[in-house]
Parts: sequence; C-alpha cells; structure tokens
Amino acid sequence: MKKVEIFDPAMCCATGVCGPSVDPDLTRLASTVYSLEQKNVDITRYNLANDPAAFSDNEKVNKVLHEKGPDALPITLLGDEVVKVGSYPSNDEFAEWLDMRAEELTQKPRVRVSVKLD
Amino acid sequence: MYSLFDPTSDVKTPFLFFTGKGGVGKTSAASATAVALADQGKKVLLVSTDPASNLQDVFEVDLTSEPKEVPGVNGLFACNIDPEEAARAYRKKTVGPYRGKLPDSVVAQMEEQLSGACTVEIAAFDEFSQLLADQYIVQQYDYVLFDTAPTGHTLRLLSLPTAWSGYLEESTHGASCLGPLSGLGEKKEMYGKAVAALSDAHKTTLMLVARPETSSLLEANRASLELKEIGIKNQMLILNGVFQTETNDQVAQAFYQRQQKGLQETPVELKQLETTYLPYISYSLTGVDHLRWFMNGELYLEDEASHRVEPILLDPFSQVIDDFSQKNTRVIFAMGKGGVGKTSVASAIAVGLCEKGHKVHLTTTDPAAHLDYVFKGDTAKENLTISSINPEKEVEKYKQSVIEKAGKDLDEDGLEYLKEDLESPCTEEIAIFQAFAEVVDQSDNEMVVIDTAPTGHTLLLLDSTEAYHKEMSRSTGEIPESVRKLLPRLRDPKETSVVIVTLAEATPVLEAERLQKDLKRAEIEPSWWVINQSLFATGTTDPILSGRAFSERVWINKVKRELSANTALIPWMEEEKVGYDTIKEYV
Repeated sequence: MKKVEIFDPAMCCATGVCGPSVDPDLTRLASTVYSLEQKNVDITRYNLANDPAAFSDNEKVNKVLHEKGPDALPITLLGDEVVKVGSYPSNDEFAEWLDMRAEELTQKPRVRVSVKLD
Repeated sequence: MYSLFDPTSDVKTPFLFFTGKGGVGKTSAASATAVALADQGKKVLLVSTDPASNLQDVFEVDLTSEPKEVPGVNGLFACNIDPEEAARAYRKKTVGPYRGKLPDSVVAQMEEQLSGACTVEIAAFDEFSQLLADQYIVQQYDYVLFDTAPTGHTLRLLSLPTAWSGYLEESTHGASCLGPLSGLGEKKEMYGKAVAALSDAHKTTLMLVARPETSSLLEANRASLELKEIGIKNQMLILNGVFQTETNDQVAQAFYQRQQKGLQETPVELKQLETTYLPYISYSLTGVDHLRWFMNGELYLEDEASHRVEPILLDPFSQVIDDFSQKNTRVIFAMGKGGVGKTSVASAIAVGLCEKGHKVHLTTTDPAAHLDYVFKGDTAKENLTISSINPEKEVEKYKQSVIEKAGKDLDEDGLEYLKEDLESPCTEEIAIFQAFAEVVDQSDNEMVVIDTAPTGHTLLLLDSTEAYHKEMSRSTGEIPESVRKLLPRLRDPKETSVVIVTLAEATPVLEAERLQKDLKRAEIEPSWWVINQSLFATGTTDPILSGRAFSERVWINKVKRELSANTALIPWMEEEKVGYDTIKEYV
C-alpha cells in the first residue's frame, strides 16, 4: 500500500479546535487519519509550526511552496507524488487511492469494553 | 501582634515562591529576603518569572535568563525569565534554520503561529521547570527564590505542571496543542520533578504577600486556598507595609485605622497561616542599601522626614468622566498592573457616566477582580449593568459549543480525539476572547467599561486578538460576528479609549510605561493616565507618609511630562470604596 503524507499549514493542533474557530473539515480529517492509522495505513501529517524540516527537506513540497506560497497548503502526497494542493482530500479520494470503501473511513464506533485485570 | 519577618529564622526551605497581586510588594519582599540570606553567607538565586518584572529596577542592573551576580551582595545571583522573551528565543531557534530554505511567506506563517499565547506559556514553563528540576542548580545554591508574576498569572504558571502532567498521561495518540514544544514526552520526567518539588513541604514554601487591606487579604486568601487545592500546602503570610504612627496627623490616623480595620477582617483560613509582617516605610525600595535598611526595620530616612509637601493638583478625576461623556466613547478600558486600583477606577468611571445619563455596562476579565465586593449590597442603578467574564465558565461553554458544532458527525474515537484537543491550554484563551468580544459587541447600545486583568494577561489577550484577526483570513471555520468586528474597534480612538491606572511609585509607573509601549506597538494609544491613591494630594505631615508623598513627586512629574498628555490625580481616600454611592465620591 502506498504511503500518504499530508503537509498541514502552521497550526496549533491537528483538529483545529485551538484555532480561532473550529473548521469541521479539520476534525473530519483528523478522525479519518486516525481510522487509517488503525488500519495500519502508512499515513503521516506534518505541521509547519513544529516540523518545518519535513517541508524544507521534501523537494516536491518545497517546490510547490516556492511556486505558490503558503496558500498551497495543505499539500497531500501519495507515494511521493503530489496529489492534492490547497485543500484536504475527501474521504472518497482517500478510499480511491488506498483501494478501500469510503464507508470504512467513517465507521461508527465499536463498543468498547474496559476490562480490569486485578 | 505579629512579629517582624526575619529571613534568618523564618525561611525553612530551599525553594521560596513569593506570590500576591501586583503592587503588594512581593518583588521588594523577595529581593530583601534574598539580600538578607546572602548577607548571612548563603548562596542565593533570585528568579523572576514575571512577564513585567521589575527586578532590574530593584537591583539597578540588567538581568537576563542566565543567573548573574548582583553587584554589592556577595553570593546573590539573579535572573529574569521573561516568558515573551523566552518565546522569542524559541521562535528564533525554530524558525531560523529555514530562512532561505522555505519561501519567506511560508516562514512568516510559521512565525505567526509561534507568536500565540501558548508558545509564550510553554516557553516560560519550560524554563521555569528546568530550574526547579535541575540538580546542578539545586546543589549549587542554598536558596532559590522565585519572584512570581501577578496572581492570575502565578496561578496559571503554578497549576500548569499538574495540568500538563495529567495531560501527558491521558494523551493516547500524539495529537496535542503542545505542538510548539515538540519532544514534550522526553521532558515529562523534568516536569514531574518540578511538580514534585513544588508540592514538597520540605523543599518549597509559598510566601503569600499581602497589604494590610481588606481587598488584598481577600485576594491572598483566594490564592492560598486555590494553591492548597493544587497541592502546595506549605504556606506563610507576610503582611507587607504595616503602618505605625506616633503623630496626630489626620491622614496618618485614618491610614492607620484603615489598616487595622483591614487586619481585623482577615479571612479565617488566612489567620491559620504562620504570619509575619514588614513595616511601611517612607523610602522606595530600589538599590541594595535600601533593601538592607528595610530588613533592619528603618522606617524613614532622616533627611527626607523633614520635607513638607504642599498639595498640588493635576486634572481632577471628574475631567476623565467629562471627556468620555462628551466624546461618547463606546469602549473604555482601565488598564494597569494589579493592585493599583483599576477595579475602583473602572467602577468610578462607570458610575460617573451613569450619573451623566449614559447607559453603561461594566465588566471584568480579571480572574482576581472583586467587583462584587465593590458593589456589595447595592441594587444596581437603572443605567448600570455589571457582568464578569469567568474564565472557567467560558471555557466550559466554549467546549460545549465546539462539541455540538463539530462533534456530531464523529464516531466515538473521533469525539475522544476532539475532546482531548479541547483540554489544551489554548482553549482557555480562545474561550475568554470570544466572551470578551461578545461584551464589547454590546456597546452598540451601551458604553462598555472593562476592568481588565493584570498586565501580562491583558497583553496576551490583546496579542491573541491580533493573531486572531490574522488567522481569520485563512481559516475556513465559522467566525462569530462579534469577534470579526472587534479589533478595528479596539484601534479606533473615536470608539475606544484606554485609561492607564497607576500609583505614584517606581514600580507601578515603570510598569505602566512598559504597558503603554506595548499598547502602542499594537497601535492602541492610551488617552488618560490616572494616578490613584496619591498621598501627595492629601497634604499629610506624618514623617513616614510625607516621606512617601515627597517621593511621589518625581513619579507624578514623570507621568505628566514624559508619559501622558492627560493626567488625573485621585487622592488617597480614608475609606476603601464600597458600593455605588461611595464610589461617587471619586467623581
């Protein structure tokens, strides 16, 4: 499976709730990324505010930034190719790239049982 | 009835935290204690974590975050941790290497994000706990004294270790607003040590510093209880500035009576603490010699005692009210370091404007404000409404609204994730800011008088106002209308006025000067300075009070000549202003 990399604009936190207002798309994305991680998809997010090295070291990302400036963020890479610029991928796009069904990404909660072993 | 504070016998732990609302003299108390301990042959480090520290003024030496030997005192070292400076250093370290590698516009975005309130707090906390957890420091010095920031800030600073340690433990997947401090996990041990040292009664004493006045004692009690709850239970109370007089001077008698009355009303919990006092003195505490005289119990300097002070008047306070009334100013801020009486001044402005027939809303963002107290027992007059912005409630309200708005499409894990991010320290800033914007929004119909929080907090608030506006241009989320309208209004002098409240003393004036500079950088120009509680304006002949009154002169002149075009003077009053009708006396 191809690896996915998302290069976020400078943000305080990944869900965006720390920002001036809540962006529902960010919470959706954070949740999707989390589900993908649970499915062992190789997916990574880089935040410009605390991981600038990732932006500077990645030639393709750096090139897009030099051409288009920070408005090009977020940038999504699929297996080292730029696949999305300026906004986050939708769940359908993730599903297509990763050969999954979109429903798998919005699965409703599993019931959690906590067991105490004393 | 209390004994004089004597560092030799009263200091029993290697770490001392001096806390109290700004203006109670905790820097003086901490500095004098540090000098006294060093004069005993001990090795002492004095640390200021106040974003508006005046330690430099006290020792008349430039200080940085690196401990530096204080000239004239063997064994005394001092350093100044300015959280904003620490944040700047952090920004430089983080952003610097990418200049030239990433486009300038991208670098600018990074810098902007790292200019937020959280970065400042994180940077300060980081430095602070490094000191506390550093074995080298602990072994090198016999005593480490922290001259902490005004109460609201202190509480946050001190409560952070617990909050963040909890946060780290509960964090299940690396999402975190503590982003600017990457590698936080590695520092967990250090933070743990800092927390442990703070709540260890063998290591740390909390020195609550209060003036012998009702409001100051109430405030100390509040801080005491709050810190006990956090686990800092080893506390002592220093009553700073206890006045004794042998004259029949009317002002001196009233001054003495007011203090005694205040002391009698000491809250019952506070009475249980071990308590000592420091005397009210005629001279200012700048320079090492003065600090030594203070600890020796010298009440006044002989050459100053003979000065007769003739009362002079600047604009009376009523001019301030007239000015706002004529201009129909919509938003008025009373700003200044805590303890200078900005609550009283804001209240007096609100009352005065009501008297002139304006509809007025009075509010406070100061977590330590005592507006309820000032208006105790009065039914609010028809034109006056009063509210306060309670940080805790606002945070709760904000969390609820976010979860309602963004949480509805999320599954259980997603919701957990969202809730976790909402536990971060920045949430509070945002929540309070929104509440603040809502209040200002009401000034379409009413004049709004805001009694703001202590200086550091106020600046953070305004700073975040600006960051807020910059960020809005790229955020896609929903922005409340009230927030969108706020900043341009804050900057429009026809709409908004800032009143700087100060006392005619070194620290409050220097502090207010810095505040004004910072406001100007944010393109906000204060329209009035109000010098509150002036003994100079009373004509007292008591040797101690007149010494104080005489030394006020230089500060009054500095304000008038260098700092402000419009200056009003309020004389020291016999009664603490309680209630609507007594507040009118100001006006």
